Amino acid sequence: MTDRMRLKTVFFIALLSVAINSAAQELPTGDLLIRNATVLTVTNGTMENTDVLIRDGIIAAVGEQLNAPQDTPVIDATGMYVMPGIIDAHSHIGISNVNESSAPVTAQVSVGDVLNPYSIAIYRALAGGVTASHVMHGSANVIGGQNETIKHRWGLLDPDELRMAGAPRTIKFALGENPTRVHGRGNNKRPASRMGVEYVLRETFAKAERYREAWAQYEEDVKTNPRAIPPAYNSQLEIMADILNGDIMIHCHSYRADEILMLLGVLEDFGIDQITLQHVNEGFKIAPELAEFGATASVFADWWGYKFEVYYSTAYNAAILTRNGVLTSINSDSGELNRHLYHEAAKSQKYGDLTDDEALALITINPAIQLGIGDRIGSIEVGKEGDLAIFDRHPLSIYAINQKTVVDGIVYFDIEEDADDMRLIVDPESTVDTAVIHSHEDTHQCLYEGSLDLYDFLESN
Amino acid sequence: MLLIDLQSVYCLNHSSLQSIMRIHYFVFAATACCILLMNLPVKAQVNSGESVPDVTRTIALTNAKIIPSPGQVQERSNVIIRDGLIIAVGPDAAIPFDAFEIPADSLTVYAGFIDGLSHTGIPQPKQQPEQERPDDPANPPDELAGILPYRDVRPLLDPKDKRIASMRESGFTAAHVVPRGRMLPGVGAIILLGGDTPNEMVYQGETALYAQLSGARRMYPGTDMAVIAKLRQLYKESERRHRADRLYREDPTGLERPQYDPVHYAMFPVLEGERPIFFHTDGVLDLHRVLSVQEELGFPAVLTGLSQSFDAIDKLKSADLPLLLTLELPKEPKQNKKEPPADSTETPPTDAPAELPEIMHLDYDPDHRVTSFTDLESEKANLEARRTIAYKTHVGNAAVLESEGLSFGFSTGSASPSDLLTNVRKMIEEGLSENAALAALTTTPAQILGLTSSMGTVEVGKMGNLVVTRGSIFDEEGQVKYVFVDGRKYEIEPPKKTSGSDADAEANPAGTWSLSISSPDGEIAGTLTISGSDDDWSGTLIVDITPETSQLESIAMNGNVLTFSFDAGEFGNITSSLTLDANSINGSFDVPDIGPVSVSGTRTSGPEKSTTVQ
Repeated sequence: MTDRMRLKTVFFIALLSVAINSAAQELPTGDLLIRNATVLTVTNGTMENTDVLIRDGIIAAVGEQLNAPQDTPVIDATGMYVMPGIIDAHSHIGISNVNESSAPVTAQVSVGDVLNPYSIAIYRALAGGVTASHVMHGSANVIGGQNETIKHRWGLLDPDELRMAGAPRTIKFALGENPTRVHGRGNNKRPASRMGVEYVLRETFAKAERYREAWAQYEEDVKTNPRAIPPAYNSQLEIMADILNGDIMIHCHSYRADEILMLLGVLEDFGIDQITLQHVNEGFKIAPELAEFGATASVFADWWGYKFEVYYSTAYNAAILTRNGVLTSINSDSGELNRHLYHEAAKSQKYGDLTDDEALALITINPAIQLGIGDRIGSIEVGKEGDLAIFDRHPLSIYAINQKTVVDGIVYFDIEEDADDMRLIVDPESTVDTAVIHSHEDTHQCLYEGSLDLYDFLESN
Repeated sequence: MLLIDLQSVYCLNHSSLQSIMRIHYFVFAATACCILLMNLPVKAQVNSGESVPDVTRTIALTNAKIIPSPGQVQERSNVIIRDGLIIAVGPDAAIPFDAFEIPADSLTVYAGFIDGLSHTGIPQPKQQPEQERPDDPANPPDELAGILPYRDVRPLLDPKDKRIASMRESGFTAAHVVPRGRMLPGVGAIILLGGDTPNEMVYQGETALYAQLSGARRMYPGTDMAVIAKLRQLYKESERRHRADRLYREDPTGLERPQYDPVHYAMFPVLEGERPIFFHTDGVLDLHRVLSVQEELGFPAVLTGLSQSFDAIDKLKSADLPLLLTLELPKEPKQNKKEPPADSTETPPTDAPAELPEIMHLDYDPDHRVTSFTDLESEKANLEARRTIAYKTHVGNAAVLESEGLSFGFSTGSASPSDLLTNVRKMIEEGLSENAALAALTTTPAQILGLTSSMGTVEVGKMGNLVVTRGSIFDEEGQVKYVFVDGRKYEIEPPKKTSGSDADAEANPAGTWSLSISSPDGEIAGTLTISGSDDDWSGTLIVDITPETSQLESIAMNGNVLTFSFDAGEFGNITSSLTLDANSINGSFDVPDIGPVSVSGTRTSGPEKSTTVQ
């Protein structure tokens, strides 16, 4: 490995965190003392002139004048703001495939199988203070693939090292125009209408119930008959059964109020009580219903109008949902927007008059809860993981610039170390171009999929 | 190379009878000579180009430098081959009276090279009917989706495939070949790179199942993640059917008869550990993905391809699987600076390694920072230096594997046969030892393929598969003189020198070219138009299936190689490398997620149509 870039990155990480655990199986974690910052805990208010101590990647103490072992790396954050690492609840960075758009139900596929730790979009997300992303299958299918929650451990090269181990399993669903366009108009298959979407949902869940019953019967039979033959293995229905069993959380791409209510009805009929609605531009119309169901929402601050079903939208959406008791986050769905999610949170605050903590919760603790990791990240509390972003100004200020991003106690982004070329690998056959390369990850790529020409004409999200 | 195999001689047609009579006469005469002139080697009738059959299947290479296996040398020794087998090796090995002797005083003898994996002998399907769209893309027929684990490569063999002879010219005598295709193209075979019929070529069948993360077009499984999911489904359901089948055969009482199906049943030898999956990886991400699914499902596996494996060394070590490294290398980045004109009086042979330009003092600065628009030149120079480092890192992959103690064989994959030795030499230049290189060409693939009893070394009892060179095979001056396959001699013509003083002049691509693109979905016609001169080319491409005209980007001529890229919409950004030879053009389009697609064409008009570009 003569790649000096790589060596530099590794050296840089090593320099700032003496306690890197180099054991092959364990992920590196760091010790870090941040001195004299304004600490935005999100769950516990704002603390002035406060230190944050991270030991072995876990927040060990938050308070004034903390003591740390002598070798602990120290960041003097006088005049700076420390917030929990930003969490993007809807992203498609760091994966090689987005949509397996050949079928309206593809529960068996998982973007976790195609993680790409070399994706520069991960580093760019870090530059925007984002420490974790929920990387999702696209929205071409009614029941898409499984998603993966990753931590932005830039420079670790094994895809498994991106995974946030222990994070709950999640899966992508999609309603409305995208699946009907791809499968109905594109392939002349069901669903061609919103009614068809409901049909596909009900049919697939019904099959999964029968599959689950067949396996339960087999498990019973095999106790008395060791020669019993199990039912045919069906990886798709295995996943659907796991959803029915509450082992996989649904994140559903959806816009319109009517179809969202349809979905809640389907879930109710199949005994599923957990749902995070993604985009949910018309959520403001049905906020009380969502709250009553216990659904959560992950929205854009002010992004709409990119196709017909997204016209009826408002910048007050996040605030209305929040005020109605719907746990709400703001996501990016984009390798560009994810670099300024703090601006997006600030927009929702400006329109909806949210408090600072409410606005910051939209991009920290709330998405963490939606991903089932609210006990591990999303706020600055002792015992939580050492994922932080350090800003020069208050992160809800339009002037704020992220200075350092910390994951597991290790500084993975430092504006002082941000050279022009931060790639981890270079294709020797690539062309050298100093102009801006427009990566497909920069675009909104819910429907990105190279193999179907139809998609070139499709809108995203 | 006008050899006729003796087997055909034994067919009793008229001319063959004459041949046999000639042999009998010859043997009689030779015997008489031997009685009289005891130890004098027999000067057998040399096959000197006219259409006469080999008169003997006994061959003696005398006084040669022999490399019996990597790291061993026997100077001034003889190798005797009889009836396809090595019967004696050593300085004192007696030369049989009936031997055709090749004085090899200045030659070196290596074991014939073994290609760990390729499609040699399996021609690209030339014309395919327009691939039908399945009625339901979610659930297509297996053969449309590229899932053919039951397909045997042997009926697909074509002895006339040009790659066989060109591989042999680089010293390869045997190859492990697998069908072309997508996710599960079929079952491989070991073939000898010689012979006139498919049956003669086959050494062993049913070697391994070939797999790659290569999705189907416009149907399930289309993406890498779906291929992985499909493999899980297929494997786990095969396990279930395998168990049901076994239980039923042991005792059908109380069981329904399991129904046969070709796809799942073709997986049974894999489940039983009898047939490994040779899993192709193209790049380090593939490598991680394949290792993960292999560890999860636990099938016996050999990893092939392995480009960029320098970035996953620890994982390769803990996986502890047999490795076959591709001999394909990335194209060397073209530097900004014009290379100094080559000395026209000394034209290197075409397979000589390309000179590495003077970029060894790689002044790449990882901390380089410029303010936008103020110093783009320095930014560009820095990025080019990084790209050159990346190139050398890729070429140095083999050396890294060796230094990390990971043993590997070579596979030729889809590398151009004329690049094979050049690329080995480049790898040696980047630190691979010659012994490891030779092992990767001989003993290691023999081990991985279970061929050690018959191939891989120059030893008594092994097949007469040899490479005979002038100079070291790893030296850029080294030349393959003879190749023996199963004891049959192939004399290798020295590589053609590019003729005349124009040899180094860049060919002129200007004009209109009629292209034929061998897409996986069948042959597609296209029209390529290039205009301009020197380093200021422009061009367009029209492919018949779409009405759009693609503008070519980054057009460059390097010698007689034309490279460009173009945006192909749904197919992504395609890069192309085409070699010009007068008015024909050959090469490939590298299509994202699909891989290289071969392209050939002829010039239909243009300034160069009538002029000579040799």
